[in-house]
Amino acid sequence: MNETARPYYWAFISLCGAVIAVYILFPIFWLFLASFKTRDQLAQLPIAFWPEEPTLQAYRDLFDSGSQSSQLLNWPTLISNSFTVAVTSTIIVVILGTFAGYAFARLKFPGRDLILGGLLVSRMFQGAALLLPTYRLMNTLGLQDSLLGLILLYSAFGLPFATWIIASSLREIPVELEESAMMDGASRLQAMFLVVLPLATPALITAAMWHFVGAWSEFAFASILLESSANKTVTIGLASFVELFTLEFQKVGAAATLVAMPIMVVFFFGQRYFTRGLLAGAVKG
Amino acid sequence: MGSVTLNNIRKSYGAVEVLHGIDLQVDDGEFTVLVGPSGCGKSTLLRAIAGLETISDGQISLDNEVINHLPPKRRDIAMVFQNYALYPHMTVAKNMGFSLRLAKESKSEIDRKVRAAAGILDLVPLLQRYPKQLSGGQRQRVAMGRAIVRDPEVFLFDEPLSNLDAKLRVQMRSEIKELHQRLGTTTVYVTHDQIEAMTMADKIVVMRGGHVEQMGSPLQLYDRPVNVFVAGFIGSPAMNFIDATVQNGTVITPSGAILGPAPDSLPDGSAVTAGIRPEDIFLSDSGAETTVGLIEPTGAETQLTLRMDGASLVMTTRDRVTLSPGDAVHIRVTEGKLRLFDTQSEAAIW
Ligand SMILES: Nc1ncnc2c1ncn2[C@@H]1O[C@H](COP(=O)(O)OP(=O)(O)OP(=O)(O)O)[C@@H](O)[C@H]1O
Ligand SMILES: [Mg+2]
Repeated sequence: MNETARPYYWAFISLCGAVIAVYILFPIFWLFLASFKTRDQLAQLPIAFWPEEPTLQAYRDLFDSGSQSSQLLNWPTLISNSFTVAVTSTIIVVILGTFAGYAFARLKFPGRDLILGGLLVSRMFQGAALLLPTYRLMNTLGLQDSLLGLILLYSAFGLPFATWIIASSLREIPVELEESAMMDGASRLQAMFLVVLPLATPALITAAMWHFVGAWSEFAFASILLESSANKTVTIGLASFVELFTLEFQKVGAAATLVAMPIMVVFFFGQRYFTRGLLAGAVKG
Repeated sequence: MGSVTLNNIRKSYGAVEVLHGIDLQVDDGEFTVLVGPSGCGKSTLLRAIAGLETISDGQISLDNEVINHLPPKRRDIAMVFQNYALYPHMTVAKNMGFSLRLAKESKSEIDRKVRAAAGILDLVPLLQRYPKQLSGGQRQRVAMGRAIVRDPEVFLFDEPLSNLDAKLRVQMRSEIKELHQRLGTTTVYVTHDQIEAMTMADKIVVMRGGHVEQMGSPLQLYDRPVNVFVAGFIGSPAMNFIDATVQNGTVITPSGAILGPAPDSLPDGSAVTAGIRPEDIFLSDSGAETTVGLIEPTGAETQLTLRMDGASLVMTTRDRVTLSPGDAVHIRVTEGKLRLFDTQSEAAIW
């Protein structure tokens, strides 16, 4: 590409990016704005984009124990269940993924690369095909309708990718650093914790974020495994909520915003690491 | 005390043996240099001493105690890596104090030792910097600082200067040597640069293909190489080799030029490889006839490339040269400096 074409090229790329972003984000933003409107304002024609008198009433309704919506769905319980499942499985996945990733990156054993590749491929079978077998497995194990079952399931689903991403980032860290630490008097474990893992923080954070977001927003498996209302998670709550309150769209908006909040917070604080961690395997430097 | 003894060290990767039984004695306080062409097993041997590589057979002892099965952390050996391997997330001070921290020394003690080592290496103003904020030479010094702070029995260096430019390399070479003279710590130093080996070593170990070809002081190796390989490897410019035969007690080239006397033990007609160092050739009125090829003055001395019997011969002289390419000159070999090697086995005869 010659020098004069360059600015146009970047302008074009940026424009495409902006269009895609608007296309994807508009419905979400619309829902977000709706949560600050009143029911009447939502019903009026022509449709108003911005809330006329922004109100937090919809949010209050979610949590006011007296309100109709909070009697049907207990949001504090849903949120706490989702946090329990997402945080616990994230911790499990990051810890096991770190050790497994380290083994794949540093130790030599037969079939190592095949297994590592297989881990990634295994993620492609996920989805509807696994729903029924998983349901029966969980029943057999007596883990249906329990958060523990969901935690174990999410951890199993999340581990391959976490292992893979951590392994590829550890491979980028020169092995001499560890050897040097061992010469300095470190055991292998000390070398790992004091030298290798601090350098792999972006990958660890990426793996954690990736898993947390996936676990927080998982719907299909949660919906077939969880039955009692005391055990439901936010995504299931949101789905029933949409059915129950189609006419009170401001509440749907409020609930959706609430559910999306942790994900946004996670990305806000982690995005620096996120791109770096994902690129770790691809780019040297 | 820190003497290292290697007994019949063998190392295989799978079915391939890369060290074929190495015996080596490094005395306490000695500066030993392992030198040899790429792939000859220098790093592997060094890493075996460090404990970073297991060995397939043999014994490694430190002060007469076998350390084969000890992990690196229990060997009391420090190593400086080719790429320095400084911890990127730690400051210079933290890098240098890392081993002491692992040894659970007190903060004040760590601080004192780090400062002392930094003082020796001129690193005091850099203590709070991170490795990426240092120049190549500074990184090199930090890597050395990290090694000396522990006051170990043995230092290992694996081509520590190969990432530096030529000028810095010469400077660091003297710094390492001075450091050794000051601390007197037993050192094993790997390089494939024979000049580094010559200038730094108390003892040079020349390796090839997983074998030790010869070991000895730099001048022993220079004056009495045991075979063609060592003779050609040590010295720069390299020794000249000429196919020759013995006749009437003299060594002559195929065209009949006399190079020097042959030992009595060699019968007439024996084929030999004659080895002559460039500085042992001098111009004279009589002697073997050659043609001047290249003339390369370096200031203090001049290097001449001469053609004889279709081969090239390099000589150096401190005299000013007034020759030009194409001139015919006669050369002779300084008495007692002609080396002879068996043409078949390449072993030194004389
Ligand atoms: N991990 C390994 N697996 C298989 N072969 C190896 C391994 N490491 C080294 N080798 C082989 O062992 C031999 C010696 O290697 P080594 O690194 O000790 O050479 P070196 O003398 O240090 O060379 P250089 O000067 O290039 O650093 C080489 O032939 C090399 O190919
Ligand atoms: Mg090497």
